Amino acid sequence: MTERGPERSDANATYVFAVCRNPDPSAVAGLPGVTDKAPVSTLSLETLTAIVQTVRACEFTNEAWQARLCDQRQLERYARAHHDVVAAVAACCPTVPLPMATLYQSEERVRDALANEADRFHAALKRIAHHAEWGVKVYVPSCPPDDSNRSTTPADRSRPAPGAGLAYLDRKRGAQERRERRQDEALQAAEAVDAEVRSLATASRRLRLHGPQLAGERRVQVLNATYLVAEHRAAELTLLAQALGERTGAQIELSGPWVPYSFVGEV
Amino acid sequence: MSDVDFRERFSPVSGPQTTNLADILERVLDKGIVIAGDIKIDLLDIELLTIRLRLFVASVDTAKKAGIDWWETDPALSSRASRSALQEENRALRERLEALETHTKDALPKR
Repeated sequence: MTERGPERSDANATYVFAVCRNPDPSAVAGLPGVTDKAPVSTLSLETLTAIVQTVRACEFTNEAWQARLCDQRQLERYARAHHDVVAAVAACCPTVPLPMATLYQSEERVRDALANEADRFHAALKRIAHHAEWGVKVYVPSCPPDDSNRSTTPADRSRPAPGAGLAYLDRKRGAQERRERRQDEALQAAEAVDAEVRSLATASRRLRLHGPQLAGERRVQVLNATYLVAEHRAAELTLLAQALGERTGAQIELSGPWVPYSFVGEV
Repeated sequence: MSDVDFRERFSPVSGPQTTNLADILERVLDKGIVIAGDIKIDLLDIELLTIRLRLFVASVDTAKKAGIDWWETDPALSSRASRSALQEENRALRERLEALETHTKDALPKR
């Protein structure tokens, strides 16, 4: 029995980055990929080509990935390595990216497994042909610090004026109302931006909103969405984002063109 | 249509010039085409993971400088931490249950 399992330290596995049509093999030459064991290479399927790399199985087990997912530097390294290969391939031919950490026991297994999925890959290639993915993030300024305590002259704190309690409550109530109004306006801006961008996109998806540590202290993210946009409408999108920013007063960040990661799955 | 025709009309997409890590992660980890690999990688907690990741992805540099490593003991990010957190919770609940049972027994009116 010569079966090689992942428990053997010298066993290999095959990491798959993407599936594409007619790649130029030189597109991935020299890319590091996810390991130094072997170069990134192409693996011919029947009508498609997989972009693969031979890795040490023991470094790509579930346990290894769980550890990686908990270590930001490792995670960043692998995410960027995966993305770099996908982006390089997509720059030369129509490409369906696979999610990070798609692994098979051997190249033969990749052939078998992916050949069964050929229809889905062809459908995905068709869906994203002549399209790119664009991310749109909308931010509004975060609430200024509560000024309800500073609206009167800071008089002698030890002796509050008559009615000071009531006035304090009124100010608090006013601040609360202003905050709610700002939130409503922010959400309306987000919905307006999403609706307008969707009108020129082929498909759209909402992503989770970023928290304050990613968005920054001075602004609140109110929309994080991504759109599949036809190539010939990319310029229109740029202009639209600019116009929407001016009209809504919100800060709009456009990122792209991306390989349509978010639109190759079942939408 | 031949593939050659297709390639001639194909304009390359390579990704934006500036790619921040959060943007990449929410694409490479998130919903793509679902293909079952041979080696089962359990990314079930990815939803939670990315939510938490954003908190530090935001400030990778500052986090690095500050040596922040709270996620290593965060149950959502570490299966080991998750197990021990569950065990700890289980133990605390058992203790509480025991205490309550004893208390109820003592408090029951004697008939």
